[in-house]
Amino acid sequence: MAMPRTGSLLSARLLGTFPKQLVWASASPWSVILRNHQSGYRRPGQPKDKRWLWQRINFDFSKGVDSVEKHLGLLKDEFLQRWVGPEGKPLVEHMLEQTRVMWEFRGPPSLNQWIVSSDQEIGGRSEIYLKLSRNNTTALLYGTLCSVPPRDGETRYSGYISMRSRQPRGLLDRKKPHDLSSFNTLHLRIRGDGRPWMINIGSEGYFSHQQDDMYSYFLYTRGGPYWQDVKIPFSKFFMSSRGRIQDIQHGLFLDKMNTIGFTLGDKADGPFQLEIDFIGVCNDPTHTEEFAYEIYKRNPEV
Amino acid sequence: MSPLVLVVLLSSLGLGTAMTFASSHWLLAWMGLEINTLAILPLMAQQNHPRAMEATTKYFLIQATAAAMILFASTTNAWASGQWDITYPSHPVTATITMAALAMKIGLAPTHFWLPEVLQGVSLTTGLILSTWQKLAPFALILQVANYTPPYMLTALALCSTLVGGWGGLNQTQLRKILAYSSIAHLGWMILVAQMAPQLTLIALITYIVMTTAAFLTLNNMDATKTATLASSWTKSPTLTAMACLVLLSLGGLPPLTGFLPKWLILQEVTNQGFIPTATVMALSALLSLYFYLRLTYAMSLTLFPHTFNSVTPWRMTAKRPTLLLSTTIIMTTCLLPLTPSALTLLI
Repeated sequence: MAMPRTGSLLSARLLGTFPKQLVWASASPWSVILRNHQSGYRRPGQPKDKRWLWQRINFDFSKGVDSVEKHLGLLKDEFLQRWVGPEGKPLVEHMLEQTRVMWEFRGPPSLNQWIVSSDQEIGGRSEIYLKLSRNNTTALLYGTLCSVPPRDGETRYSGYISMRSRQPRGLLDRKKPHDLSSFNTLHLRIRGDGRPWMINIGSEGYFSHQQDDMYSYFLYTRGGPYWQDVKIPFSKFFMSSRGRIQDIQHGLFLDKMNTIGFTLGDKADGPFQLEIDFIGVCNDPTHTEEFAYEIYKRNPEV
Repeated sequence: MSPLVLVVLLSSLGLGTAMTFASSHWLLAWMGLEINTLAILPLMAQQNHPRAMEATTKYFLIQATAAAMILFASTTNAWASGQWDITYPSHPVTATITMAALAMKIGLAPTHFWLPEVLQGVSLTTGLILSTWQKLAPFALILQVANYTPPYMLTALALCSTLVGGWGGLNQTQLRKILAYSSIAHLGWMILVAQMAPQLTLIALITYIVMTTAAFLTLNNMDATKTATLASSWTKSPTLTAMACLVLLSLGGLPPLTGFLPKWLILQEVTNQGFIPTATVMALSALLSLYFYLRLTYAMSLTLFPHTFNSVTPWRMTAKRPTLLLSTTIIMTTCLLPLTPSALTLLI
């Protein structure tokens, strides 16, 4: 919505041959601030946003009304769910549950639960796209990997792509982690391109130094036309922080799982493709391992 | 943990509580509370897992805040009245601050938010100490301060705790969190009559400690931390599963089990005092708690867990873990109701 530029009218009539910017600039110093104020990060190569400050603000209330409706609905669910059972499911269902499909791709809304990113954020040249494949039955993650580092003088390595699920939110946008303590295995049905992918699970942490903690394991895809059922026990996931595998390892606590993601960074430039049918969890009662790796023990008992 | 370190920590726990029991000076009582807090922290953190660290940090922050409030209130009281004596009548404002701080210490609603998360992050044995032993010292002070606290504050704390304890427990599947909400609800019952009949608070506290000890030791014996694990406990120890059901129903306050005793006497006292709406709300909120206890009982005993996989039934070996305390507390949890007249004679 354009506001009338009252300050410039008189000047523009009197000095009609002068360029508008020059007239406006000479009329008021605030105009320079209001027009040139840029908030947020502007990616290199993106054009400057030359709109006025009030033109960038969305004064429409419909988004707010939708948000209020959504949160009232969530509040009602949260109250009524408790009468049905723990976590909104009857107890019998909770006890008998041996498998649960967490993510499946059956329509465009399912893609909104995922965020894709690549090294373009740091100036790289990899490309990544996520779309539904034929008949809206699976998701196809595809693109091109390029490990040529950006020419900014400081980045030495590049070449990664990643797809990560969104953090689930509950009432009033609180974090609502998944409780997977009844399960012990991750079950995926995928069709890959033969590349070694990495699965990353983000767990809820309390301290700020835990925000980059991630539990990872490898996903070796077979390639070819046949689907692949992958079952990875959660005990196999090792902890890393900011990409570095930690010396002090411990098992993944499954009661607060936030996100799951797939990363590719195998330094093999070229196209990649990963088709996902579903991502689920299951309980394998024959798998009794608690943690696959040695736990670093300080002050060992002698 | 080295046995020597364990002995030092456990004896510090005992020392802290004993100091608070024996003290008549506010500073000494505060010191006992702080010793208790500091002694339990290494026990909580010994698992060396981020979740245990989180629980330890949250516990420390809450307890330190509450202890600071107690110190502030007692100092203000000493400034106002010239006395550090606990038994000396306190100024109503300082008594209110002290009661709020003690409520935070034990986990009464609305200062209960730390308790489920802290209990969830520690082992069952440490959770047992947190739920039982760590309540004794604050209650010793509550019983002395309650006389000078506005009565509506105690009633509000009690109602809030029982309702929150019942409502919050409905949504849980993790057993430690269920026991945390159970603890909150029971503390509400105890605090309700702290001013009217402190002896009933003591009876409720003793029965709560016995029942909670039985519950925690049972779960520790079964290595159960989730409701789903309880479903298959009948294959491993059928007798313990049957007794565990009775322990849970006792926690729910069903006659003829021991847990009925405090609820009955408290409701009787509250009704005699004329607080009928309060008594009604408390009785109804007990039904909320009973619902999730019954749910656990249902999961353990009234369901036969289906299994179509070819897994080996676990061998029933001789129990290596000591079971003396477990068996004693289970018997006390289930069979003490007929001793009500003796309890009344001794304590009232």
